[in-house]
Amino acid sequence: MTRPIGRREFFRGSASLLTAGMALYPRADALAAQAAPQTAPSDSPPYKVRWYEFTEAPDSDTCWSLSVGPDGRIYASACAEGVPGGVVQVVRYNEKKDGLDYLFSLDEKVNDPPESGRASQCKIHYSFAPSMHDGMLYMATHLSGPPIDQPTYSPWLSWHDEKRCFRGSALLAFDTHTDEVKWWETLIPKEGCRCLLHDEERGLLYALSYPRDHFIIYDLKKRARRDVGRLGSINAQTLFLDQRHRVWTTNDYGHLVRYDPEKDRLEISPLVLPHNPVFQTGWHSVFYDVAASSGGDCVYAVTWVANSRLLRIWPNEGEWPKVEDLGPATQDRDPTVSVDTFRDHCGGLTFAADGQLYYVASRWRDPVYNPLSAEHKDREGVVWRLNPSTLERQEVARLEHPKNFAQYVSRGAVDRHGDLFFGHVGSRPSGIFKVEMPAGRKKENAHLPIRMWG
Amino acid sequence: MSAKQKQFVYDSPEAQKLVEGLPHSAFVRQGTMVAFPLAFPGATLPVVLDESHITALDATPEGIVYGGTGGKRAHIFVAMWHGVTGMVFDMKMVEGADACSAVCCGNKQFLACVNGPRGGGRILMTRLEPPPYDLIQEWGFERPEFDDLGEPAPGETIVHAVADLSRERVVGVTSSHLFTVDFESKKIQVVAEIAGFGHLAVASSGSVVGRDGTSYLWRYDPHTQILHREASNLPDGAWSKAPLVWARDPRKGVLYTADDSGHLFSFDAESGFSRSLGQTPLAPVGPLAVTFDGRVFGFCGEGIAKLFCYDPNRQEMTDLGAAVSVLERRRYGYTFGDAVIGRDGEIIFGEDDDFGHLWLYFPRISTARTA
Repeated sequence: MTRPIGRREFFRGSASLLTAGMALYPRADALAAQAAPQTAPSDSPPYKVRWYEFTEAPDSDTCWSLSVGPDGRIYASACAEGVPGGVVQVVRYNEKKDGLDYLFSLDEKVNDPPESGRASQCKIHYSFAPSMHDGMLYMATHLSGPPIDQPTYSPWLSWHDEKRCFRGSALLAFDTHTDEVKWWETLIPKEGCRCLLHDEERGLLYALSYPRDHFIIYDLKKRARRDVGRLGSINAQTLFLDQRHRVWTTNDYGHLVRYDPEKDRLEISPLVLPHNPVFQTGWHSVFYDVAASSGGDCVYAVTWVANSRLLRIWPNEGEWPKVEDLGPATQDRDPTVSVDTFRDHCGGLTFAADGQLYYVASRWRDPVYNPLSAEHKDREGVVWRLNPSTLERQEVARLEHPKNFAQYVSRGAVDRHGDLFFGHVGSRPSGIFKVEMPAGRKKENAHLPIRMWG
Repeated sequence: MSAKQKQFVYDSPEAQKLVEGLPHSAFVRQGTMVAFPLAFPGATLPVVLDESHITALDATPEGIVYGGTGGKRAHIFVAMWHGVTGMVFDMKMVEGADACSAVCCGNKQFLACVNGPRGGGRILMTRLEPPPYDLIQEWGFERPEFDDLGEPAPGETIVHAVADLSRERVVGVTSSHLFTVDFESKKIQVVAEIAGFGHLAVASSGSVVGRDGTSYLWRYDPHTQILHREASNLPDGAWSKAPLVWARDPRKGVLYTADDSGHLFSFDAESGFSRSLGQTPLAPVGPLAVTFDGRVFGFCGEGIAKLFCYDPNRQEMTDLGAAVSVLERRRYGYTFGDAVIGRDGEIIFGEDDDFGHLWLYFPRISTARTA
């Protein structure tokens, strides 16, 4: 008899699952090779992979946010949502020492200590948004971590509980020139921020709230928040911006949602995003991750649902955009079993200096659908390189974690020198991967034009 | 990490019980809720996101539900779930109106009171929707023509209205006037100058009651057309903020209402208000309705409302948790605008939110008492 895997449980259980998997599929040589840089398949130049653990954030269990800052450096969130009273630390990759700098513990900057008894400031969830003209990196916190004396937290249950309820998503303006938090305030009272976007020309931040799934606009000049309305029950994990300053996301049923500032309305697309027609309806096909093409004329997206779909969307064309179905991002599976989206996952979409799209998709051993050979782990995070012209995909690397599986990548980004970074979910402490690009595929200022959403 | 941090052995049965139970305990713990979209699923699109705040409901004796929405624009709809039906028909998109304060069913027609950003509230009326043939096999709908009966009091917002027990006329109130509408003649008549504040209700006597200033109810008899001002004292309580809401026991006509603090009272036309029957888990109290065994179900609290139940037989107030639907639509319900009792005692709540749904609540059936 199998037991369902809870949302929070997979963080705690990942190490033991690895052990269990090793027993089933013994690989004498695999663990020995884990810590070593990994070379890519022979038909590709080498992509060296290295793991950077959040050693100074031992309670961290997830890294949901990883973005390139306005300074071209990589910022990540060391989130601690699985421990009572956990708090997030903001981390930056230091290229000089080839290690991590721990910038600050967020609770201290926003006067919301873990001992408050409320749900704590435990994470930043796809909510880094750069500001190029002044070097700010905006960030907004999210909820889910329990209060200091509870094993778990339900924002629905504690909504009316003054002692327990999350104080609200804290919005911070971090100056990357001085490493100071210039100001902060509550972005969304009682709710978390699932994802954040910055329209720099208009001076507006856009956010999705959790749990109520409201679309929020924050005017940076006025320091004022406006709640435009509710989208549904399932947060999309990304917002993106088009050339006409319209903000795009998705709703529960896999429709595109568009906020048009000219109309000041949320509009729903008539068509449903591509999904697996065998066992899905479009329900839960919300955006997981979206990366704009270098020219900004289209975006590439993956959905947050099992058998995640890879899409190409042309938001600047037509009344409603053309959506191209690029197929599933992950492997075939038994459609009679609902595989969790921790195992069956795709994320980390980012364009690199070579003009190719990189992303990480999970791969797992399945005795029927994917009987991997012994040199593979039970679960793997595969770095793919997609050619936008031919749509050809090439496996260029596998992420290697020294102790855990690495199939779940939250976000990816390219730093100013052109190397790839990915945030990891599934180990404690958590951490990030660096994937060093081959010399011919990297350049300086490769992070530009910069991604304006988390 | 702080020394105050409590350590949990997550694999222990105690911790597992907490971790597994807590997410579900937030949501409705008795009965079943079904969120139904404002659409004919599989055949039509729902009412658009920001025009679907359901604020007004009424039902025919056959259990056909009529309702109205607000938002960027008002809509008038009919919903049916009995027989081979199962759909919501968006009967009219009302140009120039962004709110619907009341829907009232007559014997052959129904009317909707709609308000707009400019001008006063007006009344639209049309026939009741005839039953469709078979909504599994084949069907066809056409939007009916509505008669615009005009504004009861020009320039004034319609606050609320109810059909009387005969379903031959409607009694309503604007921001400043009491009025009636005759379904047959379609005539509107202004009765008196009264400031409308909150909902109206039909009391056990058949008279319509509404808030009269800060301390009283007025009472209007639709048959004799006699209005009694300051007819009943409001009971001791906090009555200054929340507009009145009502629920009517379909058996004897006893009404229920709540004050600003959530103290629940019953009201009988003969005996007046009861003492406080109990306090709802949260305040303010939103829409409520009484099912066939006398239990009162309603929502209370802001942001994420909670369902409560008052059982007059047990004299118990119960917090039932937040609304969630896993049938028909998977959705959380946060804020509700109106409630009406269905044909079989189920309660239909109108969700006053973007992409508002109709929420059918089937209360738990109590264990039979044995001799």
